[in-house]
Amino acid sequence: MEWYHWMALATLLFCKTLFVIRLIEIIKRGAPNDLSKPSGSVAKGVRYSYTKAMLPQNKESAYLHPPTFGAGLIFHGGILISILAFIWFILTAIFGWATPEIIPPLCCLCLLGSSFCGVAILCKRVFKRALRALSCADDYLSTAIVTLFQLATAGYFYHSDPLPYYAIASLFFLWLPIGKTRHLLYFFAARYQLGFFYGRRGTWPQ
Amino acid sequence: MITQEQKEKALAILADRADPKLQTHLNSCVRCGLCADSCIYYKAYGEAQYIPAAKVNMITSLYRRYHTTEGKLLPGLVGTRKLNEETAQKMVDLFFGSCTLCGRCAKHCSIGVDIPFLVGKGREMLAAMEIIPKSLQATADMAIQTGNNMGIPVDEFRDTIQWMEEELQEELGDAEAQIPLDETNKQILYTLNPREPKFFPLSIAAMAKIFHAAKESWTISSNYYDVTNYGFFCGNNAQASVMARNLYEETYRLQAKRLVLGECGHGTRAIRWEGPNWLKTTYDFDALSALELIGEYIRQGRIHLDKSLNQKVCTLHDPCNLVRNGGLLKEMRFVVRSAVTHFTEMTPCGTDNFCCGGGGGNLAMSEYNERRLKIGKIKADQIRQTGVKVVITPCHNCVDQLTQLNHTYKLGVEIKTVAEIVADALIINKE
Ligand code: SF4
Ligand code: SF4
Repeated sequence: MEWYHWMALATLLFCKTLFVIRLIEIIKRGAPNDLSKPSGSVAKGVRYSYTKAMLPQNKESAYLHPPTFGAGLIFHGGILISILAFIWFILTAIFGWATPEIIPPLCCLCLLGSSFCGVAILCKRVFKRALRALSCADDYLSTAIVTLFQLATAGYFYHSDPLPYYAIASLFFLWLPIGKTRHLLYFFAARYQLGFFYGRRGTWPQ
Repeated sequence: MITQEQKEKALAILADRADPKLQTHLNSCVRCGLCADSCIYYKAYGEAQYIPAAKVNMITSLYRRYHTTEGKLLPGLVGTRKLNEETAQKMVDLFFGSCTLCGRCAKHCSIGVDIPFLVGKGREMLAAMEIIPKSLQATADMAIQTGNNMGIPVDEFRDTIQWMEEELQEELGDAEAQIPLDETNKQILYTLNPREPKFFPLSIAAMAKIFHAAKESWTISSNYYDVTNYGFFCGNNAQASVMARNLYEETYRLQAKRLVLGECGHGTRAIRWEGPNWLKTTYDFDALSALELIGEYIRQGRIHLDKSLNQKVCTLHDPCNLVRNGGLLKEMRFVVRSAVTHFTEMTPCGTDNFCCGGGGGNLAMSEYNERRLKIGKIKADQIRQTGVKVVITPCHNCVDQLTQLNHTYKLGVEIKTVAEIVADALIINKE
């Protein structure tokens, strides 16, 4: 283990700690204490919120914008691969494991595709007037950092210099709980609460 | 100029640790902008300021600036805004003038951000600073002072009810038919939108006819019959609670078993869903909408309908507060389909319906009249596409807006409440 491994692990710990603190806050606040008499089922509403309500045919944000929706899905898939790859790289650094041959080309292909989606999402934000008006530095920075992390991961599979990779990974983990990227946690809470609201009132499941 | 005290009161709302939803929704939006097309304001104007996320951003940028470490250390990077006079004026325009709290965007948001909940918080902040559109505040104040938002004197109300009772007796040919006022120990305490006694008393007669046919034991209070709750629209929870408490206590005073909420979307939402939370108590009586009650009568065979008495082609406008925010999609269709021969849906409808444009207190805010009619064009176009002759909606606010759209966009339709269409189809057993 080199110093840059420790640096990246320290930022991962920072990221994890902030998310855990926020998760505890969310749990401590608990479910809404609604005193009205329910006319539906919270459990069914929440289940629906995480499943069918998320299907592209049920959300205008998906079915009216298929390219953006698709790009978003692939981009998020790329994040997952990058995080898993980071863990793998650390494990190989500790235990000296070899990466199976099939993994690098496969991951690289996926990550190049997801990075392309990241760039496309960034371009959309830059060039679309309404979206630009809505944006702040965080919006550009978050997409750029995450895209960069994916590209760096793809590159590192082919044994590029470890320093830039771990520096970018550290930046990613530092930014994750600070920027809008923190929706990684709040997304799940928001969907729970929306399911709670609509479920209790009998609006969901539809 | 807003004072430091006003600012502190407003910002304290964003720091409320007791609110389980607040922190989550303040941190969830990714500003993807994909909610834009879900909002009638953006659809009508195509301007970025009307994107639901812009309304979210108005409140979240304040939250980040004053309540997060990153906002304090890196304000330029994470998108923050200072709360000052200019911001407050923008908040008024966005939270009151550019959102009907319809909730369509929340359902379609890629994350699940409860946008109207946040807009409601924004309204609460403005209420804390006492910066509410004057016309809206005046409507709420009137309800607090007189017991109804139109300030109808009790005597005038009694006269109207008596007049409607005579109409009812004449129509039914039954001198025993009644609109009981202030009677105790009845099954039902029925509430009204003050627009009914003021402008549309026949809708009271329509509901009375249904009660008569169902042989219901019911009454109306001459003091507290107002189902509306403009405190809710103002974001003033103290006023909203007073209004909810008036109906709550009147139900006990008259010893009614059920509180039936007249055809009013936001009023039903305010009393049925929000009221117990404002009053911090569960109701130990049933609070239900008139629509649900009519559905119950049909199912139980307490009223009988002849669809052939309503031959014109009808459609239904879904009030946002009853359908998306009240779960009454199927019930509404069950009742209407039981009462009319020809029924067709608008596209989209149900939980995907577009607000008529009159929600969120819009009808009481004359300063936004032009905007209200412009966003309403979406609903007008929907109605025109159906080719119907009658538009039914169980909400007097929607009736008002649809009536104005009918006139402005020359739709040539009749606008009816559910009680009116059901009353038209009633088979009255003279025995
Ligand atoms: S769709 Fe949801 S997450 Fe995206 S900008 Fe709109 S409110 Fe924010
Ligand atoms: S609640 Fe309705 S009016 Fe308000 S932002 Fe959302 S879609 Fe637009």
